[in-house]
Formats: sequence, C-alpha cells, structure tokens
Amino acid sequence: MVPSVPTPAALPKALDAPTGSGDGARAVTTVEDSVLLVRAQAGDVSAFEQLVERHQQKVFAMASRMLRSDDDAAEVVQEAFLAAYRKLPEFRGESAFGSWVYRITANFALMRLRHRKVSLTVEEPDGAPNFNERGSLIDDVADWSRDAEEQTLDAELRKAIDGATAKLPEDHRQVFLLRDVEGLSYEEIAQVTGDSLAAIKSRLHRARLAMRAAIDQFYAERAG
Amino acid sequence: MSESSTCQSCLALLVDYVDGQLPDDVRAKLESHFHDCQPCEDFLATYRATASVCRKALERTIPESVAAKLHAFIRDELCNKSKA
Ligand SMILES: [Zn+2]
Repeated sequence: MVPSVPTPAALPKALDAPTGSGDGARAVTTVEDSVLLVRAQAGDVSAFEQLVERHQQKVFAMASRMLRSDDDAAEVVQEAFLAAYRKLPEFRGESAFGSWVYRITANFALMRLRHRKVSLTVEEPDGAPNFNERGSLIDDVADWSRDAEEQTLDAELRKAIDGATAKLPEDHRQVFLLRDVEGLSYEEIAQVTGDSLAAIKSRLHRARLAMRAAIDQFYAERAG
Repeated sequence: MSESSTCQSCLALLVDYVDGQLPDDVRAKLESHFHDCQPCEDFLATYRATASVCRKALERTIPESVAAKLHAFIRDELCNKSKA
C-alpha cells in the first residue's frame, strides 16, 4: 500500500526554518539529531525511527490545526515523514531536521487543503472594531489580556477559540495559524501560499480581529 | 496620517506596529495616541494577547494510536524499501 507522495520537485517551494522549532532541550540527554541524521542517511532505519519519534508531536499538532482533522493529520504526517526519508540524500543539514520535516508537513497539509477546497469563501471574518464618524473607537473594550495569558486556559474558552478558528475563511485561517500559532515568517508564508505580503498582512489582521473578538465575547459573557 | 490620528487610523496599522515595522514618526504618533486613549490601549493589549492565548487553546497531542500507526507505517515502508 503505497500512498501517493509527490516527488520533491512537485512540492511547493520549501520554507526556511520556522522560528524556535524547539529541538534544543532534548540534545542534552540524547544523541543529537544531526548524528541520527547521518546514521539515517547511511541507511540506519532505527536512527530514522528515532527522528520520527522526536518530531512526531510537533508536526502532528501543526497538521491537525491546519486540517482540523486528526485523521487527515495522521495521513499527512505519514506522507511527510516518508517524503523526508526519500529526500534524505538531498538534505544538506543547513537547517535542523526538525524544521525541515516541519516544512515538508506544512507543504503537504496545504496541498491537501487545496484539494479539499470545494468552494472559495469570499466573505470577510467578523470582529472588526466599530468606530464613529470621527474615527473614534466606540466599542466597550475590556483588557482581559493578563487574565487570559496567565491562567491555565478555561475549557470553555478553548472551545470558543476552536469554534472561532473554524469559522474563519480558509485563507484567513491558514495565514493566522502559520503566523501566530506556528511562528512562520511572512516570507515563508508567501512561499507556501503564493500570496503577496500585503494580502497576507491584511488577512492576518482580519483574522486576529476575529479571534480577538471571540475571546472578548467569552470574557464579556462570563462577566455577564 | 497627515490628519490627526484617530482610533481607526491607528488600529489599522496594528500588524506593522506589533511587528515593529513602522517608521519611527508613525510609531511615535501611534504611541502618543495609545497613551491618551484607554480604549485603544486596552484594544492593543488584547490584540497582542490573542496569538498567545490561541496558541495555548489550539495545542494538540498526537494520540497514542496515531503514533503507533505512524511507527508501523514507517517501519513497513523503510524495511520494504531496503529489501527492494
Ligand atoms: Zn483611540
């Protein structure tokens, strides 16, 4: 049973390393990724398996957020690790293995989203602030930032955020996740989405406004 | 921003502002507005907090069964390949 994996040439242009791919902490107690990588490149299957084990959590989390489905994420992660294995001879170690496989997974997830896309959503997300004719903000603005950032997250708030993410138009959702959750740079996002910097920033802003409004509504309702 | 800064004109620039990408004079104008405008200051604080709160809310853990299937898949593919 061989899944259809695009050849490296068919992959969208690779991203550069995302910021903070978080491989540092493990290196203290275990063999470095770079050592495992050399072994894997020499044909050591168990070395590659260890690399998979180390990075599966991070890439699965990203794929699951992007695709909003654990089943699809599981398939994409399999495809991505397999593609990474097949491309091992090409990997020159300019970036960490973790960020490399992360980029491959992001590319696969986006390709799957493109195939899945049935209708193009054109509507704008809600959540823009309201102004009067002089341009003054007329919404009641409560500052819940400290509360939200310091406390462990309320299950209801988690649900509200999840629901608000689902409601974002697909192109806005992708940009928001890639930038604010996955931590990619604008250049990296432009490479995978093929959009202009201006379009990316505009979608990001609208998506943030919608997400901010959802959290705001949660706190307003709770304050009752 | 030739005319005086309004909440609307300031909040429209938040993406570049939080990235630290605005020219100094524009940034100074925004900060002076935020300093004198409590609603905007609160809006800014919550706008900034949104990403980190969402990161927490959207954490995902790979289910044991998915990890197990992944390992079986990888082993299968790799061993078949090395035999082929
Ligand atoms: Zn204001």
